[in-house]
Amino acid sequence: MQKVRRLSSLRDLEEFRQGIKKNKDPRQRIVAVSVSTCCVALGALKVVETFKTELEKQGLKGKVQLKNTGCSGFCEQSPAVTIYPEEIYYFKVKPEDVPEIVTKTIKEKTIIEKLLYKDLATGKRSRKLQDIPSYKHQLRLLTKNSGKIDPRSIEDYISADGYSALEKTLFEMKPDQVVEEIKKANLRGRGGGGFPTWIKWETTRNAKDEPKYVIVNCDEGDPGAFMDRSLVEDNPHSVLEGLIIGAYAIGAHQGYVYIREEYPIAAENISVAIKQAEDFGLLGDNIMGSGFNFRVKVHRGAGAFVSGESSALMTAIEGKIGEPRPKYVHTAVKGLWGKPSCLNNVKTWATIPLIVLKGAEWFKSVGTEGSSGTAIFSLVGKVNSTGLVEVPMGTTLGDLIFNIGGGIKGGKRFKAVQTGGPSGGFIPEKYLDLPVDFDELSKVGSMMGSGGMVVMDEDTCMVDAARYFVDFLHDESCGKCIPCREGLQVLSNTIKDICEGKGKDEDMLGIQDIVTTMEEASLCALGKTAANPVLTSLKYFKDEWDDHIRNKRCTAKACRALIKYYIDPQKCQACMLCLKECPVTAIEGGKDQVHSIEQEKCTKCGACYEACKFDAIRKLSAEPVPPPPPKGMKPIRKRKNK
Amino acid sequence: MKNLTLRIDDKDIPANEGMTILEAAKNAKIEIPTLCHNDELEPYGACRICSVEIERKGRTQLVASCCYPVEEGLKVKTRSHKIDKIRKTIIELAAVSAGIDVTGRMRELASEYNADLSRFRSNVKTEPTKCILCGLCVRRCIEATWDTAIGFIGRGVTRKIATFPEKVSVCTNCNHCYSVCPTGRISSIGADPKFPEVDDILAGRE
Amino acid sequence: MVELACQHCDYEWDYQGENEYYATCPRCRYKVRIPEDKVSRVGHKKLSLEIKKKTLTEKRPAKLRGIAAIVNKLVQDAQYDKGMLIQILLKLQRSFGWLPKEMLIEISKQLEIPLSQVYQVATFYKAFSLAPRGRHLIRVCMGTSCKVRGSGTILERVQNRLSVDKDGTTLDGKFSLETVNCVGCCALGPVMTVDDDYHGNLKLPDVERVLSKYQ
Repeated sequence: MQKVRRLSSLRDLEEFRQGIKKNKDPRQRIVAVSVSTCCVALGALKVVETFKTELEKQGLKGKVQLKNTGCSGFCEQSPAVTIYPEEIYYFKVKPEDVPEIVTKTIKEKTIIEKLLYKDLATGKRSRKLQDIPSYKHQLRLLTKNSGKIDPRSIEDYISADGYSALEKTLFEMKPDQVVEEIKKANLRGRGGGGFPTWIKWETTRNAKDEPKYVIVNCDEGDPGAFMDRSLVEDNPHSVLEGLIIGAYAIGAHQGYVYIREEYPIAAENISVAIKQAEDFGLLGDNIMGSGFNFRVKVHRGAGAFVSGESSALMTAIEGKIGEPRPKYVHTAVKGLWGKPSCLNNVKTWATIPLIVLKGAEWFKSVGTEGSSGTAIFSLVGKVNSTGLVEVPMGTTLGDLIFNIGGGIKGGKRFKAVQTGGPSGGFIPEKYLDLPVDFDELSKVGSMMGSGGMVVMDEDTCMVDAARYFVDFLHDESCGKCIPCREGLQVLSNTIKDICEGKGKDEDMLGIQDIVTTMEEASLCALGKTAANPVLTSLKYFKDEWDDHIRNKRCTAKACRALIKYYIDPQKCQACMLCLKECPVTAIEGGKDQVHSIEQEKCTKCGACYEACKFDAIRKLSAEPVPPPPPKGMKPIRKRKNK
Repeated sequence: MKNLTLRIDDKDIPANEGMTILEAAKNAKIEIPTLCHNDELEPYGACRICSVEIERKGRTQLVASCCYPVEEGLKVKTRSHKIDKIRKTIIELAAVSAGIDVTGRMRELASEYNADLSRFRSNVKTEPTKCILCGLCVRRCIEATWDTAIGFIGRGVTRKIATFPEKVSVCTNCNHCYSVCPTGRISSIGADPKFPEVDDILAGRE
Repeated sequence: MVELACQHCDYEWDYQGENEYYATCPRCRYKVRIPEDKVSRVGHKKLSLEIKKKTLTEKRPAKLRGIAAIVNKLVQDAQYDKGMLIQILLKLQRSFGWLPKEMLIEISKQLEIPLSQVYQVATFYKAFSLAPRGRHLIRVCMGTSCKVRGSGTILERVQNRLSVDKDGTTLDGKFSLETVNCVGCCALGPVMTVDDDYHGNLKLPDVERVLSKYQ
C-alpha cells in the first residue's frame, strides 16, 4: 500500500522524488505484466494469478516484485511479460509458460528463446526491444512510459520525473508565458481538427466570463481507434498533469474528464489517479502551496458517437442529450453552461508537460513544418503487427504500413488505408509515399483525424467499406437537422441496393445532390463530413462501383448477394469438415464422395470457406457456376507432399 | 445596444447587436423561408431551409440565418442558384420521412422551389409520418407547461414525438401545437393524444 | 412485509403486496414463490386486517421504499444536481439491469426534471435499456477493424446458436445480444464482450467455447 504524504511545497515534491529514486534498488528483480484492456482480453489476468502462485510456490514471494503495467504497443503479441533489471521481453505468454519463466529466467537467469519476439517476415528472434523492427522506426515520446510504470502508482510516475513540468509551471512561469510557449511550439489539436491549440487557450483566457472550464475529450468514438484509451489507461497522470498546466494558463478552476461508457478500465484508472493526486496535494486547494486551486471530475458517456463532438459533449456533461449546436459563437466563449470552456483531446493534454519541460524549440524540431511533434496511430486491420505506434509527423504511409506494420497479413495485396474515422476517407496505393501530417492528408481528400488507421487488402470490397461508414453514421446521427438525418437514410438505402445488385446508374446523380446539401447545410461536422468515405471511395475506386452497378459483380468477392460459393471437385478431399460447419445443411456429399453446395439453400455465410483446409472452395462473382459433379464421384486423393 | 450595418442582397440594412440575420432581414422586409422557426420561441436551427451565403474574411460559407449573429459589414446573399438548389433538396429530403401528403407551410415552399416530394421517397419503405421533426410543437408546449405531455424520444432516424400518458392531464387544450405545425401533421383540435404513446413506440407497436 | 429473493436473477427486495403464495420479481418479472415459513399462518383477510391495525396505530416516518429508495440514495449522493442525470441513469442501469417506467418517473420527481426530458435522455443513449435484459449481456464489436477482420460472421454465428436477434433477449432470459461501435480493442479484432469479460482474436469455433462458459 502506498503511504500518502501531502506535498505542500515545491521542496516537498523534490524531496519526495529524490527519496523514491534513492530507495529504488537497481538490482531488484521485477516481473512486469501488461494488464491493459487488450491484454486482459487475451488472458493476461490469468498470467498474473499464475505468477503469484508460482512465485510463492518456488519461495520467491517478497524477493521478486510482481507489477501490473500498461501496454507497450505490441497488441498482437499480448500477453507481454518483462523481467527487470535485465529487460528481457517475453511475448504471447500463456499461464503454462509461467513455471518455466520462474525457474529458468528468474532463478537460473537463462533466456527462453521461444517466448522472445519473433519477426513474422524474417523469423528472427529479438532479445532487446530496440532490435524489433517495428519498434526501431518509432519515436515514443508520449507513450514512453506506457508498459514501464504501474498506472495506479503515483510514485512510479513521480520517480519517472512526473509532475516536474507542473513544478516549473506553477513556480517559474506566468499563465501567459505558458500560452506563449504552446504558441511557439505550434501544437495542433490531436482530436482530429488540427486547430492550433494556443488560439483556443487564448480565446478562453480572454473571454470575459467566470467560471472557466477545461475539459478532456476521451470519447474516442472513431471505430478502429484506441490511442486515447491506451493513454488514459496506461499513463493517466500525464493527462492530469497537462490538464492542470492548461487550467493554470487559462484561469480555470474546474476540469472534467469525459470518458466513453465502453472504457471501464480507463475510467477506473483515471479516477484512482485523481484520488491519489488529491491525497498528495497535487489537486484541490492550494496545489503544492502555489495558491492555485483546481478540481477534476470524471463523467461517463452513455453510448453515442455524436457526443464526442465538442458542443455535444458539453450538453452531455450538462445532463442533456448530446445534440451539437452551430458554433457561430465558439465554445471557447460560450460553452459548458454558457461559460468559456476549453476542450482538447487526451493526446493534446498529454503533450503539454513535454513541451513545458523540454521547450518549444525541441518540440518544433520533431515532425514537419506545418505539424510539429509526433502522432500516435492505431495501426489495425489487415497488417501483421497491429498495435499502437508513435511516429514523428512526416513519416510516410508506406513506412507505417510496411516497415512498422510488417506488411499485409497472409501475403495479400494492399488496397487502401482508411484514416480519420467516419469523417476521413480511403487512400489508395498510389499515395503510399505521402508523408503523414495534417495538411498532406487533407489534400488527398481524407484527414488525419484522431489517429485511427485501418489497413485494407484485396479481399475488402470498397463499396461495402463505404456502406459500413454510411450505416455507422446513420445509426449515430443525432437526428436534429434534416440534411444529415434524411440524407444518410437515402444514402444508406441506395448503397445497400447497389451491394445487393439492384443498383442503377441514375442513383449516382441523386447521390451527388444529397452529398452537396449535406456538406453545405448540415448543422455540425458529423453531417458535413459524412460523405467523405463515399466520395473518396468513388474517386479512387470508381471501377468497383461501376462493376457493382452495371455488371452486378463484386471485384473483391465480399458482397454476399453478388457471390456464389463453389467446391472444386478436382481439389475436394471429402473430409466432411465443411459439411459439418454449414448452418443450413446446404452441402451434399459423404465420406468418400466429393462435396457440392446446393446453391438455393446456401446463405453465403462463408463458414465452409473458412473451414476448408485444402483450398478447394472458390468464390465466384458474375460468373456462371459450373454444374455439380456427378453423384458418387470419388475424390482425387492428393499425395502427402503437396 | 450597438447599431451596426450589414449588407443583405446588395442593400445596406441597419441592425442591433445581438440580432440574428433572419431578424434583421425580417425588419427590412426581405423574405427568407423557414420551417422550424417561430418568432416567439428560441431559434432551433433544425430545418436548415433558412440557409444563406455569407462572405467573411474572403471565404464564403452557408449558415443558418436564424442562428447567426449579425456583424458589422457582413455580406449576405439570400438567393442564388446554389442556395435555391440546396433548399429544393432539403425539402425533398424532408419528404423522405414525412411523405408526399403534407399541407401547410411545407407545401407552399415545395411549390415555390419546385421540389419533387417523391424524388427520394422511393428509396425507403417506411410509413410516411407527415412529421419533419421541426420541434415546434414540443418547444411551444415547453413554453406553455414546462412538464410537457409530448416530447422527443430516440435518435437519428428513429427520432419521433411521443405522448406521455402520465402527463396528458397537463395538456390544457391550448391547441398551440396545432397552430404551429408547418406540415399539417397535427390536424385535429381537441384533447386526443396528438401522437402515439411512448410505451407503444418503444414496444414497436407503432 | 416479506423479504424475498428471486431465484432467477438473485434480486432481493421487500415484498409488500397481498399475495400469499407468489410475488413478481420487479427486476426480471419472473414469478417467485413465497417460502411457506415467511407467510403467516393466519388467513389472508385476517392478515390484512392485522397490517391495517398496525399502520394506523404506529406513526411511521415517511420512509421511501422500493424503487423510490434506490433512486433517492443516488440522487442524494449527487447532491440533487440536475446535471448528474446521465451519471445516475448509468449507475441504475448497471445495478438494476434496466430502467423501468416507475424509475424514470421517480427520477423526474426527485431531480425536478420534466418527465419528457428524462425519457429523451433515456432513449437517446444506447447504454440504457427500457426493457428487461437477460442475465448476461453479449456485445459484439462492429468497429471498422473488427468488421474488416470478420465480426459480421461472428455476430451471425451467435445469433444462430442462441436463436436471438440483435437487440433482443433469448426466450429463456439468459442472454441479451447487442452490437457496439468499438470497445477499443481494435488490434485484436473480432472482439466480443460478455458482461465484464473481453474475448479477442475470435474465430468461428471460438464462439461455442465462449458461450459455454456462461451456461
